[in-house]
Amino acid sequence: MRIRGFFLFRRFGLPAFIVLLLLFALVLMSLRAKQRGGVEFFDALLMEICSPFQKATTLTVKTVQGTFRQYVFLVNLEKENRVLKQKIAELQEENHRMKEMKLTNERMRQLLQFREKNSPSMIGAEVIGQDPSSWFKSVTIDKGEGDGVKKGMAVISPTGVIGQVLKTAPHYATVLLVTDYNSAIDCIVQRTRAKAILEGIGENRCQLKYLLRANEAAVGDVVVTSGLGGNFPKGLMLGEIKKIDKRGHGVFQYAELVPSVDLTQLEEVFVIMEPIPPVQPQEEKGKRGKKTKK
Amino acid sequence: MKRVILPLLLGVFLLILQTTWLRFFPIHRIRPDILLIFTLYLGISFQPVSGGILAFLMGYLMDLFSGNALGFYALSRPLVFFAAQFFRERFYLEGFYSKFLFAFIYAVLEGLLIFLLMNALHPTPLGGLYPLLFTFLLPQSFFTALVTPPLFFLFQMGSSFLFRQPEKGIMEKV
Repeated sequence: MRIRGFFLFRRFGLPAFIVLLLLFALVLMSLRAKQRGGVEFFDALLMEICSPFQKATTLTVKTVQGTFRQYVFLVNLEKENRVLKQKIAELQEENHRMKEMKLTNERMRQLLQFREKNSPSMIGAEVIGQDPSSWFKSVTIDKGEGDGVKKGMAVISPTGVIGQVLKTAPHYATVLLVTDYNSAIDCIVQRTRAKAILEGIGENRCQLKYLLRANEAAVGDVVVTSGLGGNFPKGLMLGEIKKIDKRGHGVFQYAELVPSVDLTQLEEVFVIMEPIPPVQPQEEKGKRGKKTKK
Repeated sequence: MKRVILPLLLGVFLLILQTTWLRFFPIHRIRPDILLIFTLYLGISFQPVSGGILAFLMGYLMDLFSGNALGFYALSRPLVFFAAQFFRERFYLEGFYSKFLFAFIYAVLEGLLIFLLMNALHPTPLGGLYPLLFTFLLPQSFFTALVTPPLFFLFQMGSSFLFRQPEKGIMEKV
């Protein structure tokens, strides 16, 4: 019996392993869909291990990039000019550093003003990595559960909404950007107050869904958060309508929107810490439910 | 053990490169998928069990740092690995063009699989995704395929340096 069992294992061991591995991946997908705690714990643990390296690499790349900008073009100069060029390089570097400091200062001042104006319970975070896959749109930030960041919290910048927290680890978190296919945010057209749902369609673009054909909306209209749902405060800038399509039949019209934030150049972001009480106007009760990633 | 730990560390290193260094690429949204290339290299030079587990771990790590909440890559990467294993004897992988084609086919197939899974599991139809098959998937697969031959060469050099068995690949038994 043992020999037969061993023979069967030798014969079917590899196919069985392949099937088991793929089944395991499917079970994992199912567990993730059901948001089981065990998977989240394991995710957080692995993220905690990998993210410091990610942070260090980003820092190194930025430093090397800065050094290259300053020195690489000065390497092949004539000997008699070397000292002079060296001085120029030093001055340029100093100048560059000062410019960088000035820019950082301005950015920080803007962030601070924005923070004071909007909500005191926000924390600043640095973007340390991007989505490894080009199909999905997310970034990794250097703040996590230890800093009070929780799943579903809104992530914004002075120029508008960036996304919401998708996964958390003790000191790091993954933020789902508004341009991701899985992102959905309740919003209104600022001028006409027409309600819609903003969904990502990748490529730094979003679309407005469930925008009633009867509601007025035009190219150039600003779209802001509605405050419904509880994740985002009301009135935060989402973007501008770039295209409207009323062709075809149906109750709704189609609108394409470009986010107000350049999501490819993110460096610092804010996470809104306090839960925002959802706005519940009378006419909203009993209307459509909102698809939101929690 | 060294033969499993070192490739795993290399995989983590490549993942970090993909999430940090590659974002400074001029064409921001079209980045070569160096982890897919690594998985393909595992497929042509690793043993099925250890390689399968490594491919799964690579996919799992990708899911972890991705906005993909369900974990598509933990499924797709082992599939890519086993497909590469299955076809490695049937593919002539010596020249630039053959490696290019090999990687291009797998990149396109994996992209289609992800696309199908996204469409199947998303609560609403993702109509906006279809144009991406031409504007994103094909260019992305092209760039991935383009960097495959030099990366395969580097992996081969690394494995011969570390394991002193260049002719046997990184994982074959002596």
